Amino acid sequence: MVLLLDWLTTAAMLYIVTAGLMMIFGVMKIVNFAHGALLTLGAYASFVVTQLRLDPWLSWPLALLVGVVVGCGVEAAIVRPLYKRPLDAILATWGLGIVIGQLIVIAFGRGVQFVDAPLQGTWSIAGLPYSAYRLVLIPVALGLCALLSGLLNGTRFGVKTRAVIMNEELARGLGIHSGRIRFITFALGSGVGTLAGGLITPLSSVDPDMGLPWLVGAFMLVMVSGHSMLSLLVTCLVFGACQVMVSTYLSPVLGGLTIAVLAALTLRIRPQGFAHG
Amino acid sequence: MMLLGLVGIALVVLGPWVFGTYLLNILIKAFFFAIVAITVDLLWGYTGYLTFGQSAFFGIGAYAAGLVFAHAGFTMLSALAALGLAVAGTALIGALVGWLSFYRGASPFFATVISLVLPIVLTQLLLSGGAWTGSSSGLTGYETFELPLEAWYWIAGTALALVALLGSLVVRSDAGQVLKAIRDNESRCTYLGIRTSRVKIVLLVATAVVAGLAGFGYGSFSGVVAPELSGFVLGTEFIIWVALGGRGTLWGPLLGAVLISVASAYLSSSMPFVWQLVLGCAFVVVIVLLPQGLMPLLIRPLRRGIAGEPALVDRAVRALVEQDAAQALVMEGVAKQYGHLKVLQGIDLTADGGQLAGLIGPNGAGKTTLMRCMSDGSERTAGVVRLCGHDIRTLPPEQCVRFGLGRKFQNANIFDTLTVAACLRIAGSVRERPALFACSPVLAVPSYALEVLRVTGLAGKLSAVAKDLSHGEQQALELAMVLTLEPKIVLLDEPTAGLTKTERTQIGSILSSLALRHGLCCLLVEHDLDFVHEIATRIVVLHQGRIAMQGSFEDVAHSELVKTIYAGSTHAAQEAA
Repeated sequence: MVLLLDWLTTAAMLYIVTAGLMMIFGVMKIVNFAHGALLTLGAYASFVVTQLRLDPWLSWPLALLVGVVVGCGVEAAIVRPLYKRPLDAILATWGLGIVIGQLIVIAFGRGVQFVDAPLQGTWSIAGLPYSAYRLVLIPVALGLCALLSGLLNGTRFGVKTRAVIMNEELARGLGIHSGRIRFITFALGSGVGTLAGGLITPLSSVDPDMGLPWLVGAFMLVMVSGHSMLSLLVTCLVFGACQVMVSTYLSPVLGGLTIAVLAALTLRIRPQGFAHG
Repeated sequence: MMLLGLVGIALVVLGPWVFGTYLLNILIKAFFFAIVAITVDLLWGYTGYLTFGQSAFFGIGAYAAGLVFAHAGFTMLSALAALGLAVAGTALIGALVGWLSFYRGASPFFATVISLVLPIVLTQLLLSGGAWTGSSSGLTGYETFELPLEAWYWIAGTALALVALLGSLVVRSDAGQVLKAIRDNESRCTYLGIRTSRVKIVLLVATAVVAGLAGFGYGSFSGVVAPELSGFVLGTEFIIWVALGGRGTLWGPLLGAVLISVASAYLSSSMPFVWQLVLGCAFVVVIVLLPQGLMPLLIRPLRRGIAGEPALVDRAVRALVEQDAAQALVMEGVAKQYGHLKVLQGIDLTADGGQLAGLIGPNGAGKTTLMRCMSDGSERTAGVVRLCGHDIRTLPPEQCVRFGLGRKFQNANIFDTLTVAACLRIAGSVRERPALFACSPVLAVPSYALEVLRVTGLAGKLSAVAKDLSHGEQQALELAMVLTLEPKIVLLDEPTAGLTKTERTQIGSILSSLALRHGLCCLLVEHDLDFVHEIATRIVVLHQGRIAMQGSFEDVAHSELVKTIYAGSTHAAQEAA
């Protein structure tokens, strides 16, 4: 039972962390290597809320806001000029990640910090106590998936975004302002990234390098999962299961490697990953 | 360039008398790092493979030294064993990574992903190694070579100079141009018969071993090995040094690595966070605004003219035997479908040497798909294709080229940053292996390719860079490149697209002579029916994925069926009425 809950909560965490990266990669075919730094930024937004002794639930909207603002700036200054050079975009966003990381260090120092969790204590599931906050992440992940899928499939913005994903030239020819779509998508994706940082910090701690291990995992998941939010959820469930199994039965260190190694092998065998057709 | 080299050599020789102990220490480590930076430039700047993984090979070399010396003591034998371990380990892992990354149809993204995963996996393995690998603190205090600091400086400096020299010989040679060709246009390389996967794997193994040896030197010198030496962060630092120094120049990354390492050592104590911030900002600025790097910008005023160009020479064409001519191309029951969409169905086509077949049909009929099915074994979903008697099964384009196929694409598909001469030499690389350390003064091309070059004026522009040519000249260059393969079958996709009337006539006469005089089998997809009328010996009409009819031009032009296909049924009905 504990294993099942571990699996579901791990998959939920993976989904939350990867959703932002997926939005950006799906629309712009650019991997935002600053994603790790955005996670860290969101985490520090939570930390600021803790420092100011505000209600911890405020950390979520604050993190989202910070991410959207930073995303707007980054898209205009760095990502837009590199639209035709995707490998260089990886590098430039990595450089940006370094810059953000260093700014965080200058502002907050190198030390490890802790934030207040919005929800303390444990809940009893089938007679077993389990961290309440971890459990909350499951509906949050499902809600995020529903929200983003709804956005992409149910709104006019979503239709235009999907048009740009499939065939940007044609979309522009039909009057869709692809530049604006990219701008909004990047800002939204960054916002979700920082929100994810804010969401996962209560479970561990905050330090300037915390985003990095998540970045690589998220990157691999995005590469494998294809283009829809739903396929990302499926991928997170599958890989989350593997990671939990390896961590529990072999060693936690190897567990950290599972996603990376499995994703590489999956892509080698089936280059489309989990996407349909 | 010579001046910089001499200054460098002087600094290496005179170093111990000029620099203090602290600086010498830093420089030795910087030299080892610079060796790895050069390998990164070879892989990324010259071959287009963005890799974060060279640090893993560096780490393997360093830990080979650390592990053997820490656990087995330091003797002549153990030193040799450690060296052997470094070389074997890096070569093996390099081959594995190469196999994983450079397979047919792999995207460059995927190769970069694998290069990212490698140092992370290695670091985690080292961290979980317990007392054996020293875990997070690494291995320290092991006995190593008893050499004074000056000797280490000379060893490191000489190693760097050797690697730089070797590297620059390779990139300037004819074989080195193949690397740039792969970076510019890998698909074209495969259609010239070059086994790009094999080239990249060999390059990766070679650079992995070099990086491993540099790591071995580092581990032996510093007496400390830690997991950071094989990590992702160090891997990205190499990329940053290469990007800032100037990718694709070799000496740019060398200088970048040395200067930044030295600056970091001095500045990270006085202003640690700001220095990293400055580097990060500089990196972002360079990638966005100055992708060529900083060094080439500073050196630009001092650049001299271009190197000499080779002399064009006629190469004797292997005479086509009778057996080669008959049934050069055979397609039986070929079909191609995407899911439920059937693009081609039931294609039965035979073409012999000496024929010039024009493939016509309205847009969307499947002409280019047909060409793809002829040239790449994995394209079709059903049927058999035989090129000069060889069944192409699911073989890749490079193998089809070796069976005798040459394909000219619709858009001029050449190597943008290479000269005309280099493009032609690479096109001929299937027949004549390019020299590894030298530049041949002679460029031999078959007579028909020579004719194309002479008629279009390219013979006098061998040093021109391909992307500076006019559209018509680029088309001619690609045709000459395809002909340099000495193919038995030539596929041409709209060869007259974008050409002037004069250029069309020239191409037309060259293509007819290819078929009539030299006995090649030519297939061309064309929309210009006048052009086809003048040169084709037979016409094949394609409509909605099937061959509607075949025959001479007169038969086809006057056929009711073809009129219907092109003009739509109502028009033909009106005409009849």
